[in-house]
Amino acid sequence: MRTEKFFRAVDLVKTFEGIVALKHINIDVAQGEVVGLVGDNGAGKSTFVKLVSGVYRPDSGYFLINGKKFERLTISDCQQLGITIVHQESTTADKQTIWRNVFLGKELTYPLGFLKINEMKRRTAELLEGLGFVAERATSPDNVLRNLSGGFRQGIQLARALDFTANLAILDEPTVGLSLAESQIVLDFVSKIKEKGKSVILISHNIYHLYPVADRFVILDRGSKVGEFLKKDMTIDDMSRVLVSIARTGHFPKEFEDKNIDSNPIVRSTYD
Amino acid sequence: MIKKISMEKFLSTLWNARKTQLVVTLVLFGMWLAFATANPFAFTNIITYGSWFLVAPLTIIPALSLTYIVILGQIDLSFPSVMALSAWILAKAWSGQGPTIEGVVLALCVGAFAGLLNGILVTKSGLSSIIATLGTSFFWLGVVDLGSNGFGISLSPFQNSVPFRVLMSNIMGVPTSIIWSIFVAIVLWVLLNHHVFGAHLYIIGNNITAARTLGIKTDRVIVYAYTLHGLVSGFAGILAALTTGTFYPGIGQAYLLLSIAAVFIGGTLVTGGVGTIYGSFLGGLILSLIEMGVLSSGFSGYWTEVIEGVIIVTALLVQWRLILRERRMKLQEPKMTANEAGV
Repeated sequence: MRTEKFFRAVDLVKTFEGIVALKHINIDVAQGEVVGLVGDNGAGKSTFVKLVSGVYRPDSGYFLINGKKFERLTISDCQQLGITIVHQESTTADKQTIWRNVFLGKELTYPLGFLKINEMKRRTAELLEGLGFVAERATSPDNVLRNLSGGFRQGIQLARALDFTANLAILDEPTVGLSLAESQIVLDFVSKIKEKGKSVILISHNIYHLYPVADRFVILDRGSKVGEFLKKDMTIDDMSRVLVSIARTGHFPKEFEDKNIDSNPIVRSTYD
Repeated sequence: MIKKISMEKFLSTLWNARKTQLVVTLVLFGMWLAFATANPFAFTNIITYGSWFLVAPLTIIPALSLTYIVILGQIDLSFPSVMALSAWILAKAWSGQGPTIEGVVLALCVGAFAGLLNGILVTKSGLSSIIATLGTSFFWLGVVDLGSNGFGISLSPFQNSVPFRVLMSNIMGVPTSIIWSIFVAIVLWVLLNHHVFGAHLYIIGNNITAARTLGIKTDRVIVYAYTLHGLVSGFAGILAALTTGTFYPGIGQAYLLLSIAAVFIGGTLVTGGVGTIYGSFLGGLILSLIEMGVLSSGFSGYWTEVIEGVIIVTALLVQWRLILRERRMKLQEPKMTANEAGV
């Protein structure tokens, strides 16, 4: 059953000096849904994120958000539409305090641009608690970020996704470089976002991270969308087999053909 | 017992958050104590403090706004020329029209304009700030030299006028210029710590890519910072001319190294992203105290630069150690244990 989509990326194409990075990609998300975007390195996952965040402009295709059409998105569009993106690259200011990092680029202000410092600190403390970061050194919003571990720093970037107005969080490889315990925190956090009725596009090359939290999986390979599966139709072993097969041959095993909910003929023709 | 622990915690939090400011304050106090011990007569005399506070603002004021530029991870070498430019505009305006407020406003606007050009050059040309502002430094100094033919203009005839007295006089032995520098410091401190502009300065200095990714208009913030620095440098130039009672083309040049040094002594990191107005203010006070103290202690004036050199090198060595430690921490980033993570 497919519900009303909050976010749709329609027929996106992006090329870089003749090399096609994304070929007619369609991705959509419903309210309160977690979509796992999975694919190997070079599949086009990060290009997709950069198209949404306005870093790149699509060559063709468009976005439909709450029914409104956008030929391209900018960072301020995303902010207004309630789309928060956690990039793979570090977007923290390590010499600054936690509260400044949480509100980095979208500071809460009074008229004339003066900072609501106490409110930002209070909300940061709430977020840290909500994230489950209980180590004492991390719980004060006044602590400087560089004194904290990589997991905490990633947590700060995620805390931004729990933005009070965000409807959709796009998380680009949030578990890369994290320990097992840290990855679990991140995945728990994704579940928390979902519980709040918000949507998530969770991007990863690790299906074992994606599977427990995602409702639907979109598989990208070498710039193309090669399949889309509902979690209820697939076990984690099925997904794993599909991905291994795609990585090796560019195709997924025939027995999963009927479970592929994507009907875009262009995608199929890529490898046929 | 509980009280003791909370006091310890309070002190440790204070130390962690305000380490640099506390050290700079202690250095200032220590130097004052040393000079006062060497020459108790001079340092119990109010006139000594009067001349300290007369000299200090000219180093402090440009250093305050230069702090913004260094926080951005950049440097400005042109502010002494901008000081001269604004001082020249003021001298020309006043010698033509008399001591008017309009003359002061015009001189400030010209300073801000020079800063604006620096900002545009740095953000749009792709040149590094050190090269771009080296160029504009020569340019504006050349403009002032050409415009003034290398001659000075006396401003002493206006010293009883209201604008002159508001900007430069004494209130019970306290030079107004130190009051002005405190005023500038407060305004810049509020902007840096309590305004979104200051928050963005810190972020850009920390991680400009992150700032851009998160939608901060980095070029605009940098241009604003340079414009503000131009305005404040222009104000410093005006005060310099009124303090000496004369405009001369080389009026700002003495402050180039002093103001840059004040910023670094104050704990602003060469690599950007960290810095305080308080630190730069005290850095300026320290440097001018050295000048005062060396002379009043009966040493040759040449010792001034020797001591300043030692202080600057020490400050930069401490900074370098901090930068190295930071790099090491990045390389050996500790992983969070399951216990720490709360799982």
